[in-house]
Amino acid sequence: MTKYASTALSVALAGLLPAALAAQEEGTLRLATWDDEESLEIIESIAAAFEAAHPGTDVQIEAYGDGYDTKLSAAMGAGNAPDVMYMWNFPAYAASLMPLNDFIERDGAEMDIDDISPALLDVSRIDGNVYGMPAGFTTHVIFYNRDLLEEAGVAEPEAGWTWSDLREKAAAASDPENQVYGFAVDARPDPYDFEQFYWSNGTQFISDDGTEIDGYMNSPEGAEVLNMFADMIASGEAVALNIGDDVSGSALFRGGNLAMFEGAMWNKGGIDESGIDYGIVGLPAFEGKPVKSAINSSAVSISADTDNPELAWDFVKFFSSPEAVAMRVNDLPVRASVAAETGQADDPMLAPFFEMLEVSEGTSPAFLKHEDWARMQENLSAAIEATMIEGGNAQAHLDDAVRRSARFLR
Amino acid sequence: MTVTTDTVVATSSRRRRRPVSHMVPWLFISPWIIGFVAFTLGPMLFSLYMSFFDWPIVGERTFIGLDNYVTMTTLDPQFWESLWITVKFALLFVPLNIAVGFLLALLLNAGLKGTGVLRTLFYLPSVISGVALVTIFSWLYSYRFGVLNYLLGFVGIDGPNWLGDPSWALVAIVFASLWGVGSTMLILLAGLQAIPRELYEAARISGVPAWARTLYITLPMLGPMLLFSIITSIISAFQQLTLALLLTEGGPLGSTYFFAMYIYDNAFKYFDMGYAAAMSWIMFGIVLLLSLAVMKSSSAWVHYEGEVRGKKGDKS
Repeated sequence: MTKYASTALSVALAGLLPAALAAQEEGTLRLATWDDEESLEIIESIAAAFEAAHPGTDVQIEAYGDGYDTKLSAAMGAGNAPDVMYMWNFPAYAASLMPLNDFIERDGAEMDIDDISPALLDVSRIDGNVYGMPAGFTTHVIFYNRDLLEEAGVAEPEAGWTWSDLREKAAAASDPENQVYGFAVDARPDPYDFEQFYWSNGTQFISDDGTEIDGYMNSPEGAEVLNMFADMIASGEAVALNIGDDVSGSALFRGGNLAMFEGAMWNKGGIDESGIDYGIVGLPAFEGKPVKSAINSSAVSISADTDNPELAWDFVKFFSSPEAVAMRVNDLPVRASVAAETGQADDPMLAPFFEMLEVSEGTSPAFLKHEDWARMQENLSAAIEATMIEGGNAQAHLDDAVRRSARFLR
Repeated sequence: MTVTTDTVVATSSRRRRRPVSHMVPWLFISPWIIGFVAFTLGPMLFSLYMSFFDWPIVGERTFIGLDNYVTMTTLDPQFWESLWITVKFALLFVPLNIAVGFLLALLLNAGLKGTGVLRTLFYLPSVISGVALVTIFSWLYSYRFGVLNYLLGFVGIDGPNWLGDPSWALVAIVFASLWGVGSTMLILLAGLQAIPRELYEAARISGVPAWARTLYITLPMLGPMLLFSIITSIISAFQQLTLALLLTEGGPLGSTYFFAMYIYDNAFKYFDMGYAAAMSWIMFGIVLLLSLAVMKSSSAWVHYEGEVRGKKGDKS
């Protein structure tokens, strides 16, 4: 096509479809998020800051809300994926995401990537490929009700405590007659979160290379974890959650019916509002073993089909820049520098989250290691639930879970 | 103006009108046919095609022949377990649904005072949507705070943990499903009201007791309605999903993990569309076979008014 013709065509198209053509020239990015309400406003202001710093770009936010996975998979299936998207379930979507290794290698120094905890990058790494940049995170901690512990005449927990400490305090604080419980054990926990107890007891769900669950999922250490929780229910130290009703641990804690509660950042807002006088401490350790926490992170990823990878990467870089991270006040900052500058790292009500992040480095959750983990974990969930209902016998239930999962490892 | 012309053309030339008259009925039902092909038959055939693939939502699909069908029947214990749970549910639900619907219909047909109000009250629960129903029942069944156990407490019964005890949860779901018995009741009631009064009068004059009138007049005369109700009950029993998904989430210990829920999980939790499609076709096959069996057996017990049975019957 001659230069003249292409110019003429451009002019004609510009006349016919000014909006579409302009969008292409100036660079439009579609960003999909599961955020809503206040969180969505934060994203909108980050996008606005990006547009201000990159004249001629337009970030279109697509807020999918609750139906995030359904809508995202439908968009991908229809070949209409957003350029940039929130992501947590990397194994399910990896085939449609762009590995970021080359970008990170090129721009890592400029973006001061060492400021971001390696533990957070681990969560988005599959087979050595990083598929997302962390945007926000939470770890798990114990919330404790100061008044209930004082009434029970036990000291408040301190960092470095153990499960036997927790059990003693729980037993002292428990008063089922008056619907007060020392601790809450979820009979149907999210296995992703539950693996933190396996790690803390020196084991994991699946081998590092993702080929073996026998001797891992059903290891004696794993059975010990399940039996301990079942025993806490049976002895009355803890109330069982999710056996036949929907009462949540955070609701019991907010109502002043629970002395200690294992939770995450997403529980904190509601607890603050309840007006309970509470403290936060890191998870307890198993005697003589290093404690670990699950890390729940949300990251931003780039679609493998994007027409504009450079612009998308610019946005992702901006999203994890100190400026944008500081704007995200709804979860914890992924950059150590931001945590230090804002004073969050020293706030006693937030510091345990950062401490748990630090000690949890080097853990790799099971779902990153095997593509069929989602199916295997159903069998594990059944074993956990069976142990809690039966009040023990974890080894037999876990062996059964391993046997039933065998077909996915062949 | 056009109307007049058309009429003139139509009456003056019968032969030319004929092809049009063949088209007209088809045109009238074409909205349904188009809808059926586009939204039911088309997707069904497409799902049959999908069932021969390893078909993830994201990523490449691979043709694997009958692998999905072989895997589920030989390697997947969950397939048989959830099928057995669904069969148990159907065995409890179908007879109860028919029996309760029949008893309520008899009650409404007895000509008692306030029948109109009762009819509305009995039917009302059927129009409540599934999700609202689940919310109501999760409160009724709650172990510690539930209405049901509170009421049982008055008669000295220590109620079970309805949704938390693996041996009660399925029963609890059966009871909750009976909430929708109103539609069965309505169909049977319509059937009852169509039975000619003379039959009962003749029987009464001959001194036939009430129970025998129900057994020998009402039940046989209701045959077609019962047949319809049984088949639709079987279909809805096999498709049961809402209650399991929302009330018990398949638990406790997988005791209410219905076949339909396993299909749902395969499709939308594990993104394994091919496997889910294959399971759906197995369910379709089972429901089809059961419906055919019921239809086949119906010639023995369903009596249609004005029906003339085989030639042997003609002699008498």
